[in-house]
Amino acid sequence: VQPPEKPLQAEEWNKLREDFQLPEIFEEVMLNNMIRCNSPIDVAKSLLTHLAKRNGDIAYNVLVKYLTLCVQQGQVSEIHDVYDIMKVRFKILESGAYNLLIKGLSNSDEWRMALTLLEEVKKIMIPSRTCYESCIKAASRHQEMKLAFELYHEMLAKDVVPTLDVLQSFFNFSRGMKGAELQKQLFGILLYLRENQIYPHKTFMRSIKLWFESIPGGNWRGNLTNIKDSGQCPVCKHQLEDSNLTEEEYSNLSERIIRDVIHGTDTFRKTSPKEFEAFQTFVENRLPFDIVIDGLNVSHMKSRKMQCENLFDAVNCLAKENARLLVLGRKHMLMNSSNWKREIMKEMQNKADFFFAENISEDDAFLLYATLRSGKHCRFVTRDFLRDHKACLPDSLTRHLFRKWQRGHQIAFSFSSVFSQQPALRYDCVVQTTGDTWHIPYKDVFEEKYSYEVPRKWLCIQQK
Amino acid sequence: MQSANMLLRKIVRSSVLPFAAQHGMKKDLFPLSRTLSISLCLKQDKSCEPSEKLDLDEWKKVMKSGLQEEVSETVSEPEELSSLAAARETLEMWRLAGRAVPDNISEEQLKTFMECPSKSAKKKYLKYLHIRELHKKNDKRKMDEKRERRLEAQDQASNTDETKKNSFLFLPSSTMDKAYLWRAAQSMIFGQPLVFDMSYEKEMSVREVTNTVRQIVMSESCNRRAVDPFHIHFCNLKDDSLYHREFIKNYKEAWGKLLITVTDQCYTEIFPKDKLIYLTADSPKVMKKFDHDKIYIVGSMVDKSIKTGVSLARAKRLGLETAALPLEKYLLWNTGAKNLTLDQMMHILLTLKDTADWRKALEFVPKRKYCAFVNKPVKELKKTLDLINTIRRGKGREEVENQFAKNHPKRYKLK
Repeated sequence: VQPPEKPLQAEEWNKLREDFQLPEIFEEVMLNNMIRCNSPIDVAKSLLTHLAKRNGDIAYNVLVKYLTLCVQQGQVSEIHDVYDIMKVRFKILESGAYNLLIKGLSNSDEWRMALTLLEEVKKIMIPSRTCYESCIKAASRHQEMKLAFELYHEMLAKDVVPTLDVLQSFFNFSRGMKGAELQKQLFGILLYLRENQIYPHKTFMRSIKLWFESIPGGNWRGNLTNIKDSGQCPVCKHQLEDSNLTEEEYSNLSERIIRDVIHGTDTFRKTSPKEFEAFQTFVENRLPFDIVIDGLNVSHMKSRKMQCENLFDAVNCLAKENARLLVLGRKHMLMNSSNWKREIMKEMQNKADFFFAENISEDDAFLLYATLRSGKHCRFVTRDFLRDHKACLPDSLTRHLFRKWQRGHQIAFSFSSVFSQQPALRYDCVVQTTGDTWHIPYKDVFEEKYSYEVPRKWLCIQQK
Repeated sequence: MQSANMLLRKIVRSSVLPFAAQHGMKKDLFPLSRTLSISLCLKQDKSCEPSEKLDLDEWKKVMKSGLQEEVSETVSEPEELSSLAAARETLEMWRLAGRAVPDNISEEQLKTFMECPSKSAKKKYLKYLHIRELHKKNDKRKMDEKRERRLEAQDQASNTDETKKNSFLFLPSSTMDKAYLWRAAQSMIFGQPLVFDMSYEKEMSVREVTNTVRQIVMSESCNRRAVDPFHIHFCNLKDDSLYHREFIKNYKEAWGKLLITVTDQCYTEIFPKDKLIYLTADSPKVMKKFDHDKIYIVGSMVDKSIKTGVSLARAKRLGLETAALPLEKYLLWNTGAKNLTLDQMMHILLTLKDTADWRKALEFVPKRKYCAFVNKPVKELKKTLDLINTIRRGKGREEVENQFAKNHPKRYKLK
């Protein structure tokens, strides 16, 4: 139904209601449509008046819908009135109404009222991130940065994840402001991005750049750039952090992989203890490898070619520089078949070490283990994103470590007619600083499309 | 008149309504307040009739009018709410906001609700309760209707002549039960064993265990009715485990009288290892025919979160042979996981045992999971599948397929 353009009299509403197929939900449907069409608020009021006259009461969900319309149009006094009515009528409200009230009030002159409302919400539940977002934005819009940061830290303490919008608003509203404390807080946000491996999008990056350049007496200068494969910033000639993990991180990660990915709740799910032991002794006797290859994955590179030929090409391509190779496969590869020719397999075994797992075992787990055991220089070849293995790791910190290690050590082949290898990144793609420089990777678009893709564009900020 | 009205309203609002809300009697009481307020408003209407203009904020007056008096009273109320009462309050608000929330909730359910770790878990739990409540109400309504109809029929029957006699032999259900019991007893001595492996409690949530037990109860009942029942074994069933408690909840006192073998021993301790076959969808081996000399094991596990390879791991650990149903061979699979419910498994095994006819047995696979039966070799099946896909999705499908194969080479590994 199309909502009317002007307020209606009671009889007119009655008539409309009777014409509607389901008179019981007429008001709800009508209000929903008003919200969608952004109808004038007077029309909604006339409907409420009609309802109140007929029933002597207005249901809570109808009030919330009306509130949505008011918030949408920024009708502050109406929001107030609805809040007063709700407060007297109901002991507590539910999160939907609170969200709306806070959002509506925080955009007005009475934004402090939104803060008191937030306090009220806290008594009964953990406020949603949008509640915090509205309040933080309101506070920073009115230059109350201290208050805004208090709310921000409170939100982090409650495990409510801030939106990028909130983080960006801090930079926007602090522009040109002085103060060592404020600067420290904003650096804190940049470190938050670093720790959680979040990449800002283009407009966010611009806010960061403008804030840096606006610090009075700071002499910061920002430049957009692309970082070369060598990891050197072309603007300031600074070398980015390399992608290697520290000793501690490295041993931590390999321990976790063995415990959570390979063994998990039951070693039998991915392999068997006997097989794993056999693999361990196999690896220990031949350490260290330079490159570990996921044989089956590589063999499916080109569907036109025989599977063993694909593998053969890859092994030949990688064996050139006298590298020590390990190819992981399954036992069925040894059976002479149309896809796996025995002679070719024989020839390959002269160039690389092979380990064949049981047909029902997971070879990826072995791939990870062999690479990690061989040390930091060792890389691995597969096109698999290893998401399922990452998911086996219990905490986000280890998962980030895994991602970082993966970026630095995974070689992926691309599908052109010739084998060409995508090198593992030598530098680490996170927000980083040396005190007088900051390097911030950013994305062109707001939506992050693939979590495994790292941005190639950087913001270089240096202090003159 | 006005003052009398106000007094009435006050009484209605302050004392009766909260009581009514608590006891779900709101609907019965509302007409009273409705008529009252209408009379009130009609009066006001007349007063502003000449202007003929709509007072848009009138609804606020109506909403507030009954409230002014209430305020003074709510202040004196004890403000401190216990956490349970607060949760109840929150629920009430959610219900008013039109969310899926049950009308009635017990203390125990409320506690479970509060213990849910996250907002979404809470929502899910409430939705579950809500739907269950709807089902119960519906069932009750149907029962009542049925009873009414029966009473009516009886009335009519008593009116007409009652001397009409049934020439059929009467077979009361208790006689049938006895016959079933006799067969089950026979199977306890001579029947082929079928093992339910009850060792997955740690792998499952409480609700999954409840579902598992319900499925087993259904399997047991259909086994009892079979011409040639299995001798059912519940192995690894520990006393006072969650499984055990759920069984007692389901069977009540009949639990002690069931004609099945319940033991906390493992099947490997009871039967020779080379006779055991563990049925699991993850098995690389496909069952060719039903073997009357083997003992099949079914894992008693409902897995809502797709934990692959749990039962295969168990069989590997014990060094048992495994098998999967030949679903791919006989059915053109459509959607859904290849793991079936325990009662479907039971139906399939019973049918196989009686007839050795795969087509008949696999009728028990839910229809939504497959497109059709096939009786051609795999290669031709692939062709059919491709044909169906091209017809269904038109051109461009192939590109998508290729893309998929490139991005997910793993899927194509084992085939």
